[in-house]
Amino acid sequence: MTMAHVRTDADTWDELVAPDGTPRDAAKALLEQLAALEHSELQERQTLAELDILTMGITFTVYSDGRGIDRAWPFDIIPRVIAASEWRDIEAGLKQRLRAINMFIDDLYHDQRIIADGVFPADLLEHSKNFRKECVGANPVHGVWAHISGSDLVRDADGTMYVLEDNLRVPSGVSYVLENRAISKRVFADLFAQQSILPVDSYTDELNRMLVSIAPDGITNPTIAVLTPGVYNSAYFEHSFLAQRLGAVLVEGADLVVGDDECVYMLTIGGRERVHVIYRRIDDEFLDPEVFRPDSTLGVAGLMRSWQAGKVAIANAPGAGVADDKVVYAWVPDIVRYYTNEEPLLANVPTYRCHYPNELAYVIDHIDELVVKPANESGGYGLLIGDRATRSELDAHIAMIEADPRNWVAQPILSLSTVPTICDGEIESRHVDLRPFILSGASSYVSAGGLTRVALRKGSLVVNSSQGGGSKDTWIVETD
Amino acid sequence: MLLSRVADSLYWGARYLERAEDTARLVRSYTELVIDLPTSALSTWEPLLAVAGGGDLFAKRESTIGELPIVRYLVSDQQNPGSIASSVESARENLRTTREIIPREAWQTVNDLYLYVGSNAAGGVERRSRARFLGHLIGECQQLDGVMTTVMNRDDAYELWRLGQSLERADMTTRVVGVRAATLLAAERDRADGRTVTDIHDDVQWMGLLRSVSALQMYQRATRGPIDGAAAVRFLLLDPTFPRSVASCATRIREALSRLPRSRRTLPAMEELERVLALSASGDGDGARLDAAMEDVQACLAAINDVVHEAFVRSSV
Repeated sequence: MTMAHVRTDADTWDELVAPDGTPRDAAKALLEQLAALEHSELQERQTLAELDILTMGITFTVYSDGRGIDRAWPFDIIPRVIAASEWRDIEAGLKQRLRAINMFIDDLYHDQRIIADGVFPADLLEHSKNFRKECVGANPVHGVWAHISGSDLVRDADGTMYVLEDNLRVPSGVSYVLENRAISKRVFADLFAQQSILPVDSYTDELNRMLVSIAPDGITNPTIAVLTPGVYNSAYFEHSFLAQRLGAVLVEGADLVVGDDECVYMLTIGGRERVHVIYRRIDDEFLDPEVFRPDSTLGVAGLMRSWQAGKVAIANAPGAGVADDKVVYAWVPDIVRYYTNEEPLLANVPTYRCHYPNELAYVIDHIDELVVKPANESGGYGLLIGDRATRSELDAHIAMIEADPRNWVAQPILSLSTVPTICDGEIESRHVDLRPFILSGASSYVSAGGLTRVALRKGSLVVNSSQGGGSKDTWIVETD
Repeated sequence: MLLSRVADSLYWGARYLERAEDTARLVRSYTELVIDLPTSALSTWEPLLAVAGGGDLFAKRESTIGELPIVRYLVSDQQNPGSIASSVESARENLRTTREIIPREAWQTVNDLYLYVGSNAAGGVERRSRARFLGHLIGECQQLDGVMTTVMNRDDAYELWRLGQSLERADMTTRVVGVRAATLLAAERDRADGRTVTDIHDDVQWMGLLRSVSALQMYQRATRGPIDGAAAVRFLLLDPTFPRSVASCATRIREALSRLPRSRRTLPAMEELERVLALSASGDGDGARLDAAMEDVQACLAAINDVVHEAFVRSSV
């Protein structure tokens, strides 16, 4: 392979190659090795990696004809590389952001000082779908609500890293960070020996430590359960993976009951056993049919009572999603300033809120230059990229926005950065984003790197694995 | 610590796999038996249907009683919950949620088996491809058993697996003995109707039946004599050294139960099985008595199934 293969578009930032075609510092060793490999050798390594994925059973589930089908996890062997010096700044920015967001959530469910002080508009809260009145006055341990979050980062053409969204409900993908690394170490064993690449394996230890730190009643050796919606959920592989790594029990709602003492118990062949900490991977609405959706069979009747009584910790806390909202997102810089008295270390993408008539008018006039997103959908559904849509698609979206303006925001179209990627045997530039995972408990922790998702279709900006996205390992490299 | 739901899945996963394997053995050996016998002697496939049960459903599914409809019903019919195809699918559905518990290779084997059956079961009905299909399936089941035996921790999950497997195996062995009962009954009916009773080639039939639980060689080693119906029944029911005999299965059921928590309430049902089993072999030579005895043993096994469900699944609620 020659460097000519990894030339990139002029108007995007490539993560490995500078505009003049030379390797970026942190990617130097990687690109030298890639250059030394014959085309066929590179393809062979890719094929072997895919075989590993099949035999290790690394899958995600997609839906077709009402049936869940296990698909092999899509992985590209060429990693995304970030210099450790830059990563330390991002890490500090993420910790600052989550500290502020957690203070914000705690404030919303208590005194609402931020509204009284006129920083956050009261009407936004009134219309929020994710504000849970049942959570008002609750006091989760350490005042932390969003224990596990995955903030999506993208890099624009000028090299600025932006936070695109904060996933505070049940962010997924961390198991693939660990599995991608396991495979990447086989593919580029010598590079791992030659240079200092930060390890990612400590994540599950840190997750365990965090979950122990939020146990109720000062219990130091809590029983931890991972609550899954079940085998048909698209992230079931991850639920099972994390339960194994945590030494936790993988439970479904029907495995749990709330006793007369308001403690949560799991049903075992030896009788009931108490659960102290629940790492839940189901949405708020399904948690407790007594409080939320009465038709939910995924949750546990009485779970909210137990949580409110401080008998069980739930991560993420019910109601944490109030700050995971593409409308609230627009206020995060103000939220950071308000609670920390610091300037935000990580940039927010400028965001137009259709809630406000003047911003709505701007969005409608400029829709072909904007990315339009519904405020409460995940997985990329409902997302429209203005300059790639037909006029009728634009008009259809305008109609949807006008019908429910609060539910929509718009942002300028960022030019997502690229990483060289093997596509049908050729190396081509493909757009990527990055999802680091942030843990907040007694202290906070950021995964070393995170999940790099790549849009495998040429020119596409949609990186979700449910819609044709792939993944890459993310290397944080010390460059000294 | 084992969740009741997971215990239930393991137990049923093991039962369904054992059912698939035993049905395969049965169909394979019966096919060999029919091929061995002169055409005049035995041309009915009905005893096979009687063993597997579900005659009413069969009548709804197939319009004629003959080799192919019966084998299709037992091997590839997905509407028959007891067919090999349905059993393997049910086993996989149950074991999907036990992936953190059973060894990784065990899950892969189940998955491979499911894929194999999905694409080959229909082709396994025809005589010329039947033996290959059934042989492969039995081999995969044995490989799975090997993985479980050599890799899995001897914990509650393992005991539940053994429990399900042994209970199903005991049940299937009583059904094989039931074939003998059915044959005898048929002969008696013929006699009562005044028809000539054809030579039913007793020894050949017995060899086939013993073969259907892979017992022929072991029977010959243990008894060192010619094939004799009464001895064969005793061997299949009571021999303590043959691992597929009902008595051996009962011993393993008792062992598994004794290692599981809160199993005391299962003891009365266990003792009843042992009592009924001890009396069961006396009915040989009399089709009706043997048939009734097997039904009694099956009822005891069903009672253990209920009490296991009661003890490990329902009572924790």
